[in-house]
Amino acid sequence: MIDLNIAGTSSSPAIVSRWAEGTLEMRGDSYPENSFELYQPVFDWVKRYLETVERPLTLNLYLLYLNTSSIKSLMDILDLLEQAHGEGRPVAVNWYYDQDNERVAELAEEFKEDCSFPFAIIGYSPC
Amino acid sequence: MRDDERFEAWIAELLAAPEHRDHPLHEALATLFQRYQEQVHQLERVARISDRYQSLEHERSRSLAERYRRQLRQLEKIARISDRYQTMLREVNQTLRELSIRDALTGLYNRRYMLERLSTEAALVQRQGTSFGLAICDIDHFKRINDRHGHDAGDQVLAEIACCLHGSLRDYDVCARWGGEEFLFLFPETDSAAALAIMERLRTTVAELCPLIEGSPLALSISAGITEHRAQDAIRDSLRRADHALYQAKHSGRNRCVVA
Repeated sequence: MIDLNIAGTSSSPAIVSRWAEGTLEMRGDSYPENSFELYQPVFDWVKRYLETVERPLTLNLYLLYLNTSSIKSLMDILDLLEQAHGEGRPVAVNWYYDQDNERVAELAEEFKEDCSFPFAIIGYSPC
Repeated sequence: MRDDERFEAWIAELLAAPEHRDHPLHEALATLFQRYQEQVHQLERVARISDRYQSLEHERSRSLAERYRRQLRQLEKIARISDRYQTMLREVNQTLRELSIRDALTGLYNRRYMLERLSTEAALVQRQGTSFGLAICDIDHFKRINDRHGHDAGDQVLAEIACCLHGSLRDYDVCARWGGEEFLFLFPETDSAAALAIMERLRTTVAELCPLIEGSPLALSISAGITEHRAQDAIRDSLRRADHALYQAKHSGRNRCVVA
């Protein structure tokens, strides 16, 4: 499977997947014109990874603002992880946020609510 | 043993008995019995197939209901998260708006806000045929303060005077930092005589301020030009008039107010 390496813009996050490492990173704001077009390949990549290899998968998220369709897309991806977790696969999410912006942490908590797999919300100091 | 089975066993027994073999009805009964058994078998098959259809249908509707509930839950969650993001954006917007209309040093409104406000008030007096008071004031010899005591002292003086000016106004009066050491006042529904009275009071308050600069009190004063903006006036003309009055106040010795 070819890894994703999508450059970020002012309205869409940078997305980098590493099949060999079992990580997927998304960083930035997300209010693209067409969220489903942006996130479909990400969804497909995660689905394919989970179906193909037995190794752990970790999502590292540095997301700030998400519009409604991006929220939907992200929840669909988290659903894939939840399902895999139910089948005993090691999956995890690390949601990083700038400690100056506690709001982002509160929103990450909302996403975490229905997830039973490890979901860490980690504050970092801005440099 | 069920009735049906008992009945079948009885017929089978009758048909098997050697003494009935030559009975004229034997063949008829045997045929009838065979058809009966086929019918029963057929009926059972139909019932079994129909049951399976029913249970499949039941399963389908149960999984549809489950899917519907899941979708509904997801939708509610999306709406909730989306609302929170929107609230967050709205608050950021309000903060930005507040930052964009304030002067960072003095906390007063800035020139941009005042221009907006002036055109709103001008439209209002034009519609209502009323007027408002307008005043421009300037700190006397401000350049000298900067030169002698440094820019930090200059900033301190600006902040103290701004605080003093703002604190002496009525709630509905508007005061903005207009330029470097210039302040602009808008007094709604106030004629020039009343505006003069307010500015005189401000001038006296500033003269009594004497803030400590580098440990020693510094005498300060302001000069002001006052005018009244009437319904038919253009904002630009009223500002020019007030500016001209300020110029006169400066040239006739400072620490005074002039009405134009």
